[in-house]
Amino acid sequence: MAPPDLLDPKSAAHNSKPRLSFSAAKPVVLNSPEDEYDTTRFTVMRWKTVSVIFFLVVLYLIVGALVFRALEQPHESQQKLAILAEKLDFLSLHACVNSSELEDLVKQVISAIRAGVNPSANSSNQTSLWDLSSSFFFAGTVITTIGFGNIAPHTEGGRIFCIIYALLGIPLFGFLLAGVGDQLGTIFGKGINRVEKIVGSLPQKWKVSQTKIRVISTVIFILFGCVLFVALPAVIFKHIEGWSTLESIYFVVITLTTIGFGDFVAGEKGLEKGGSEIEYLDYYKPVVWFWILIGLAYFAAVLSMIGDWFRVISKKTKEEVGEFRIHAAEWTANVSAEFKETRRRLSVDISNKFERAASIKRRLSSELGLNPITQEMTPGRRTLSVNLGPGDEREAYPNLALSLTPVPGALARNGSGLYLNGLSPEYAEVAIIESL
Amino acid sequence: MSSGYKSWILLTGFILFYVAYLLFGAFVFSTIERPVEDKLKRDIQVLKEEFLNQSCVNATSLENFLEKVLQANKYGVSILPNSSASSNWDLASSLFFANTLVTTVGYGHTTPLSDTGKAFSIFYALLGVPFTMLVLTACVQRLMHLVTYGPISMCRQKIGMDPLAATAVHFAILLLVVVLGFFVVPAVVFSYIEDTWSFLDAIYFCFITLCTIGLGDYVPGEKPGQNFRSLYKISVMVYLFVGLMMMYLVLRAFHRMADLHGLTSFFQLPHCDEDIEEDKEPIIEAGPEDQHEAEASAKPLDPASHTSYNTINR
Repeated sequence: MAPPDLLDPKSAAHNSKPRLSFSAAKPVVLNSPEDEYDTTRFTVMRWKTVSVIFFLVVLYLIVGALVFRALEQPHESQQKLAILAEKLDFLSLHACVNSSELEDLVKQVISAIRAGVNPSANSSNQTSLWDLSSSFFFAGTVITTIGFGNIAPHTEGGRIFCIIYALLGIPLFGFLLAGVGDQLGTIFGKGINRVEKIVGSLPQKWKVSQTKIRVISTVIFILFGCVLFVALPAVIFKHIEGWSTLESIYFVVITLTTIGFGDFVAGEKGLEKGGSEIEYLDYYKPVVWFWILIGLAYFAAVLSMIGDWFRVISKKTKEEVGEFRIHAAEWTANVSAEFKETRRRLSVDISNKFERAASIKRRLSSELGLNPITQEMTPGRRTLSVNLGPGDEREAYPNLALSLTPVPGALARNGSGLYLNGLSPEYAEVAIIESL
Repeated sequence: MSSGYKSWILLTGFILFYVAYLLFGAFVFSTIERPVEDKLKRDIQVLKEEFLNQSCVNATSLENFLEKVLQANKYGVSILPNSSASSNWDLASSLFFANTLVTTVGYGHTTPLSDTGKAFSIFYALLGVPFTMLVLTACVQRLMHLVTYGPISMCRQKIGMDPLAATAVHFAILLLVVVLGFFVVPAVVFSYIEDTWSFLDAIYFCFITLCTIGLGDYVPGEKPGQNFRSLYKISVMVYLFVGLMMMYLVLRAFHRMADLHGLTSFFQLPHCDEDIEEDKEPIIEAGPEDQHEAEASAKPLDPASHTSYNTINR
């Protein structure tokens, strides 16, 4: 979190959370009794998530590799054939040159190229790759970690110095970028506030929700930034460097994400069109460097935003899962409450029914002259006797017949009389509920 | 608005200092490299003249030929006989390329030749770079726990060291371990495998790679006839990933230490804003936060601070 003075207009509004990171909110614990298992549970979850994401990245890389191979290999083979044909042509045309001499020359030339020397050009008017402005540019590419590589130090001293220089310079540039990013963010935040005020003062029917404002302003910011830092420079490069549109955009993106291949470099009109040296204006390179600085800050912001979206999406998913869990818990609670209520009602019901059944049985036995004490009440008989109750009551208790499974202990204890008070209601209701 | 004013002044001060630093670097590079370059130019001229003298080739046809050779070489296609066997775009190399793209190292020893390849690289990079940063920061966050908070609190409890001293000592040890394990040892391995590299070259390579500068003057596995080329390239990829993670780790540890020692407040720089409790929450597992945070995350340009994209790049 940036200290308040860097964030003045916004510090009152919110705690600025850093991008791409480390939300400081406490996670909501859904099942509070299990607190002591919390850390381990979260540990397990976190590793799982990180490994899933890692696996996704690996997958992404493999997909990229396959696509690149499919796109580029045919091209490469073409180039190989072409250059081989050239070589054979050359050799056949100039019969006094033999193959090994030629290869030697080519080797030397290639290593010279790597050192930045262009043997194709006339050596007198060739500009050095290590004059002050180019060295400045190189130092810039090292510190911003772009690292084009079209210029690289070749001496041992140069390399050692490069290491030390980068060690100090990269953090320095990082802080600078943070500062510039802050300022950009502040400007943007002020802009949003102003827009919100304007929208807030509109008549009621034009009111738009705050989220909508933010989303729209984000989109506008992205578009505006794209135009200013991507499209406009691309057009300028295309015009000055003579690249195609795709190549200019490619250069802009590769530079601003600090990848920096170096196949296209602004201001280093190198070996492509050997003859036509482009006359660069004196302030071209510094302007390019300045553009890189601001463009980097912009790209950092955009990429942080994309990272944030990933976070928000995953957070939303988690929220939805969390909500779902809450709902599920509520539903379970409701169901079990209802269940208990039903059980209670049923048990009351059943005890009533049992009493009536008992009274019926007593009437029956008195009518039939059966001695309830001597007769063993087998389940079959019990069922029969219950069934032989008065007709209207039989309809009311269709299920009772099915489910009067004997509870061995209870019956033995109570003799053959169905003393329902002794019979624990749970057994009966469980039995009944099971049948239900 | 004095604090806003102050921040502008600070920023301008930073920019000026940065420009001065660049000028200084430019001057030193220029002084060191220029003589060597001049000598090389003279040598190559002599070579050309010799070649032209002893053969029937005239200057222009040689120039044309060289131009074409260099054009092909720029794309990694070499005319030399023993390098024609291996492709620059077989699966392992393409994977390596995708990896350099996504970690923003970007060597440039092979670059997309076709237009479709370039267009695809643009989109691939725009998606892949934040994705990778996310993964790396998530991993680092977990590692911080293991490597930093655990040992430090253990030190404090068992030995009873003062917290400032404990963090400093811990940071020094961490730095030493990382330098040994991720610079010195890999450099030895590289200088052994790549016979044209000296030990200094290998350390230079490790440093340039792990800082994601990626100049591309040294790229492992490009020697013709390399044994186990695919395996080699893939292990370099793994080294790159893990090394990047360790660099971030060191960076965060340094930031925390600077925070504790009050350095960041002294320079009025953004703080490493996590408390030990807060840092227990990983980047992905954040629970449903208050409305505030949701609103804040909808804002695109909150101050990047130390976790800005470019600092993460380091």
